[in-house]
Amino acid sequence: MPRPDHLQFGALVHGSGGHIAGWRHPRATPDGELDLDAHVRLARTLEDAGFAALFVADVVAIWGHQLDSLHRTTRADYLEPITLLAALSQQTSRIGLVATATTSYNEPYNLARKFASLDHISGGRAGWNVVTSVVPLEAANFGRAEHFGHAERYERAAEFVDVVKGLWDSYADDALIRDKEAGLYFRRDGRRAIDHHGKHFDVAGPLNLARPPQGHPVLFQAGASQTGRAFAARVGEVVFTAPLNTDEAVRYRRDLDAAVTGAGRDPGDVRVWPILTPIVADTDAEAGEILAELGSLIHDDVLRRLVQDNFGDEDFSDLDLDEPLPDFGGDTNRSQSRRAGLLAVARAERLTLRQLALRFSARADTAGSAATVADRIAAVWRTGAVDGFNVSFPYLPEQADRFTAEVLPILAERGLFRPAEGATLRERLGLPLPKGPR
Amino acid sequence: MSIRQLHLNGFLKGAGEYHAGWRVPGNPPDAGVNFAFLAEQVRRLEAATFDSVFLPDLLGVPDDPPEVTERVAWVNDTLEPTTVLAALTTLTSRIGLVATASTSYNQPYTVARVFASLDHLSKGRAGWNVVTSLNDAEARNFGLDAHLPHDQRYRRAEEFFDVVAGLWDSFDDDAVLADRTTGRFFDPDKLHWLHHHGAYFDVAGPLNIRRPPQGRPVIAQAGSSGAGRALAARIADVVFTRALPLPDAQAYYASVKQQAARLGRDPDRILVLPELATVVAPTRAEAEDRFAAVRDLLDPRVALADVQYWAGVELSGLPLDAPLPLPPAGSNRSAGAQAEIYAQAARDGLTIGDLVRIVSDGDGAIIGTPADVADHIEEHFTQGAADGFNVSFPWQPETLVDFTQLVVPELRRRGLFRTEYTGRTLREHLGLDRPASRWASASRTGSW
Repeated sequence: MPRPDHLQFGALVHGSGGHIAGWRHPRATPDGELDLDAHVRLARTLEDAGFAALFVADVVAIWGHQLDSLHRTTRADYLEPITLLAALSQQTSRIGLVATATTSYNEPYNLARKFASLDHISGGRAGWNVVTSVVPLEAANFGRAEHFGHAERYERAAEFVDVVKGLWDSYADDALIRDKEAGLYFRRDGRRAIDHHGKHFDVAGPLNLARPPQGHPVLFQAGASQTGRAFAARVGEVVFTAPLNTDEAVRYRRDLDAAVTGAGRDPGDVRVWPILTPIVADTDAEAGEILAELGSLIHDDVLRRLVQDNFGDEDFSDLDLDEPLPDFGGDTNRSQSRRAGLLAVARAERLTLRQLALRFSARADTAGSAATVADRIAAVWRTGAVDGFNVSFPYLPEQADRFTAEVLPILAERGLFRPAEGATLRERLGLPLPKGPR
Repeated sequence: MSIRQLHLNGFLKGAGEYHAGWRVPGNPPDAGVNFAFLAEQVRRLEAATFDSVFLPDLLGVPDDPPEVTERVAWVNDTLEPTTVLAALTTLTSRIGLVATASTSYNQPYTVARVFASLDHLSKGRAGWNVVTSLNDAEARNFGLDAHLPHDQRYRRAEEFFDVVAGLWDSFDDDAVLADRTTGRFFDPDKLHWLHHHGAYFDVAGPLNIRRPPQGRPVIAQAGSSGAGRALAARIADVVFTRALPLPDAQAYYASVKQQAARLGRDPDRILVLPELATVVAPTRAEAEDRFAAVRDLLDPRVALADVQYWAGVELSGLPLDAPLPLPPAGSNRSAGAQAEIYAQAARDGLTIGDLVRIVSDGDGAIIGTPADVADHIEEHFTQGAADGFNVSFPWQPETLVDFTQLVVPELRRRGLFRTEYTGRTLREHLGLDRPASRWASASRTGSW
């Protein structure tokens, strides 16, 4: 299908905001993550503004393993995403509902049922962000000393997704005849047990549930390493990215399109959404002040761990925050692409640990007046490398309110954005309906 | 002192508990996946001040012959229950929300998160029915050829529960500060690692969500074998059990309470809720007519498969006037249910055909007037056989609506059932204490 000729937006939803110290901002809801009313209000704001989807990230452990910094963040205390989205499904009617679920520490049969159920309950609005687990502490909650290795993680993920799709296709769309007169609930030849036997999973099937309204819930993916990109090319329908600049975004899109074609798919069936962390204020100067204010709210321990968590295995606890980053090397099983990019930046610019941490915590190039933020979005859109953005609001609800009320109208005025339309998430994204069996 | 009141749980299973319930004219045949229909039933039960609603679960389609499977609804086509309960949290405000989650084919960290999240979203109304899975068809969806042997299932379930309960105590009740002035979101001294290392699970913790509003979501359990009863006596707040004649029900009730008391628990804080299916009408003749029409919709092969499932023995090809054959050695069914069927068959001299007829006749459903049903409830409730009932509905919405409109007012008239909710959480509805965290005091005794 052709790519959309206008911007699409998804929102990465955190209770108090995506900035590590966002919860401390005077105009944030400090304890928003477990506040269902706050979630509902945000979801409705996004839906009314024409966002295509909202998205809940996840880690299957406390999100950070150093309590000295973790206790100064909201990242040890959050709702299980599918549970949250199911609750939101009854308080919204159009917006897509996307949850992260790991292929490393789940069983395909259980996840297939949950996403199929969410798709039924929401009337075809479910999406699954397929991830492999890399965060410390997750493995130890599931009986493993360490995470699966990089290659094995993705191999398992690929098999996992194949099994889940096969399970979703257990029934043909017209197999459930539910014929009361004849007393026959389904057509025997319309049901198929996948009888999967693979390296990581043995799953007989069938799924005990009608095919989801969307055929398959929409698959989101964010792997940016070589392996991750190949995986995204094979299964991703919306790909989350975090390019450091527009050149990188353009390069990524070119490579991804080639990989998608190589995987036998139409590049028009894949949406690319880089992360966007806007700070909208009345003037550019005021937005800069908010950015600085947020930075000042990050405790030194948190700054230090912010860098460390992104590099995985390095110990920065003795380093001076205001000295340039020392050289270090060694392999890591963390997200490889991110590490390489960060290291290159830090070295090229001779950043101190503090500067690097602040760089991770927020981006200066999307802080400004509504017009400035809209200009920036338009510039990225004009590269042709993106289809929309995955928006992470630094603190909530104010930044979501301002973005929807001030930035989107400017983009709409310029003809770059129009509210997402369609009852299902696939329709809102302009993605094809997967063909069912028989 | 408040007067002892009945506890009523609504057992919702697709179009209804009766195998032919989905065929009843006029009702939605897709009830298992029809969330709007299900939500409507739950709101009816909430309007009738039920303590809770309960959704059962299976993780696969059982291995019945195709001519049976194609004639039933629920096992083929049902929403995952915790997802349904989450969606119900915003559509209800008082009724408890209980779902099955298997200890055989889940991981405790995942289950702990989901029920803690449900408890937060519902402001303290979540309950977890702890089950062990006993279908080989389920096992084959999770990389096994057959389900775990009976003893192992229960050992795993017990360890699974211990891990989940431990994870729920990860944060102390007052751990979260959300203090933006000091920048401390929680007090790290009030976050606890679990570091569990057991026969089935190694789980470090801590859980990534604060302690549930109820401290611990309500724990339901339904095992009726020796191992099942022992587990219930230790962990259950609510015990679901089969409908039994009064003397058997009294014996079961007494044994659960005694076993709990031996473990140092207050026997009044473990509630026994036998199943109760009803077809109610203003007169017995009307009730019988209503049931007869639905009974005609049940294919005898489906009823035979039901007997075979619970007896754990192959019956196809045997004459209906034959006695129930002995189960194969090493049979690995639900041991409690199997024992009950064999005891019943021996006591009453039942043939296979008799057992099929019992299933077809509603498997113990009370078919009668509101007074008939209320009499049964009152007798079991006041004669030491029940603390309330797990009310199932043969087909919906009729039998559910009739129960709420005909039976509930009669129970209220007799002073047996609440006229309005007095509590907010499910534990409050059930008269159960909020468990203290294991970390709340230095001395920890008995089974927490």
